[in-house]
Amino acid sequence: MTTGPQRDEPPPFWGSWRRVYLGVLLYLATLIGLFWAFARAFTR
Amino acid sequence: MRPLDWVVLFGSLAGIVTYGLYKGRGSDTVNQYLLAGKTMPWYAMALSIMATQASAITFISTTGQSYVDGMRFIQFYFGLPVAMVILSATAVPIFHRANVYTAYEYLEQRFDAKTRALVSAVFLIQRGLACGLALYATAIVLTVLLGWPDWITTVLMTGLVILYTVLGGVKAVTWTDVQQMLIIFAGLIVALLTAILLLPGEVSFLDALALAGAAGRLNAVDASFNLRTNYTLWSGLIGGTFLALSYFGTDQSQVQRYLTGRSIAQSRLSLLFNAVAKVPMQFVILFIGAIVFVFFVFEKPPLLFHPVELEKIRGRAEFAEVEARYSRAFDQRRGAAMDFLRAHRGGDPIRTARQVEEYRRAQKELDAARAQGAGLAEKGNDTNYIFLTFVTRYMPAGVVGLIMAAIFAAAMSSVSAEINSLATVTVIDIYKRHVRKAASDREYLWASRLGTAFWGCYAMAFAQYGRELGSLIEAVNRVGSLFYGAMLGAFVLAFFFPRVRGTAAFLGVLAGEAAIFYAHLFTGIAFLWYNVLGCLVVVATGLAVQRAAERGRMRL
Repeated sequence: MTTGPQRDEPPPFWGSWRRVYLGVLLYLATLIGLFWAFARAFTR
Repeated sequence: MRPLDWVVLFGSLAGIVTYGLYKGRGSDTVNQYLLAGKTMPWYAMALSIMATQASAITFISTTGQSYVDGMRFIQFYFGLPVAMVILSATAVPIFHRANVYTAYEYLEQRFDAKTRALVSAVFLIQRGLACGLALYATAIVLTVLLGWPDWITTVLMTGLVILYTVLGGVKAVTWTDVQQMLIIFAGLIVALLTAILLLPGEVSFLDALALAGAAGRLNAVDASFNLRTNYTLWSGLIGGTFLALSYFGTDQSQVQRYLTGRSIAQSRLSLLFNAVAKVPMQFVILFIGAIVFVFFVFEKPPLLFHPVELEKIRGRAEFAEVEARYSRAFDQRRGAAMDFLRAHRGGDPIRTARQVEEYRRAQKELDAARAQGAGLAEKGNDTNYIFLTFVTRYMPAGVVGLIMAAIFAAAMSSVSAEINSLATVTVIDIYKRHVRKAASDREYLWASRLGTAFWGCYAMAFAQYGRELGSLIEAVNRVGSLFYGAMLGAFVLAFFFPRVRGTAAFLGVLAGEAAIFYAHLFTGIAFLWYNVLGCLVVVATGLAVQRAAERGRMRL
């Protein structure tokens, strides 16, 4: 076993980890939407 | 490669080793050597996680895959951000609070010694094979294109890695990964910009997108559901999530990166950085392949990109006929592409639609001629040689050296993390647990150094003699997916089902492995689904066995 510190801290932005996780998932949904639109725009 | 390229390549390699040795100073306790004293900031861990995953062969073959098959491979990464969120919320705090060196050490705390030993053994087999295999595959490609003997490429890459990893431990691995990732980023940006600049003057960037799109090279999202198709939105989101959960949550080569964090928050941020940056990075790599495709619409590509195989088939009687068909098909496609662009710029939808069909027909004929050429060769699949052929033949001096340095960096960053983690599991989960339970810190430190050197030499030897293994290479090519699902299942039981005990988990892992091998050998299910299947079978079996034991129907 190690002896390192086990501190937990709030995230540096958006107040809570739950909000950060939600932000990441929304970002993923946006990326998928953009890729879909990109493919549609140039695939005939 | 010109003199400037050699200067850039060897300058980068020397910089990596010097920096690794410098940053690895002071690793004189086991805690420092294997966990960096838990002092790492989030950005170092984040880039180290990214560099560990980005092997050279991924870099080389992803661009080739996009050239041949379009950008659908991007969907493989859609599950990664989801997995990073789940791991940040579950595995990161659990591992940190358990105060462990390895993920498998936690399994003994939660279950028992035999479950820890089983999963550790699965990791050593799987990661040991994968490490040697990745090195072998990289060496083969570089050997063919640089014209060096195999052993020089392998010994150069692995020898340098062993030097700084043995001496500096995880600190050297992490900080060199940071530097290597920066070289990779630089290589990617320069490769993309140079590829765009090398397009013919009369072809604008939007024209290039139109040509790539019309040939199906920008097809990034496929929403159809088919268990036998490797890359769809659903296999990426569901299968990809399970694969990423397994890789980042149970594979010590990744877990060890974020166990070095100075706090739970820092480790979480390192994973979430990857959740945000990884998909766009893969998009850029695939997009480079699509631009290379457009470049070769106007510049005639070789019939086969594998130079050795191309030389071999030149002597065949059928070669002249195939080459003539290929040349005709290339001229036809170039003409059809220009006609399509003129129609597209003119804005006449009927004429454009007609020219698109013409262009696609010409593309099909070119593909057929290439397939005929590939049929003459012993090894017809030349996907891994496309990007490097483009780089070495067409890129300017200096840029070739930078891209070669990026490829070496990608290989070295993966190998260093892998031998570091293999040594950690060997010492912590095997040597310290089963061989020498109460030795001094100094002895474990030296065992870790020897373990690192051993696994480095093993990887080098495996890569060196990989050619002899022939069909075994094919068999272990998707080695991760054969093991990850069962490993993930063990951790899912540990995290979320507190009633399940050691023997039930142990039997669950065995049942999960059996199910995966059955699916692999006797069904046509795409490999991304193995992780889902293995994990579900482990959890279902673990729960069923535990329930039977509690009802007195089974003695555990």
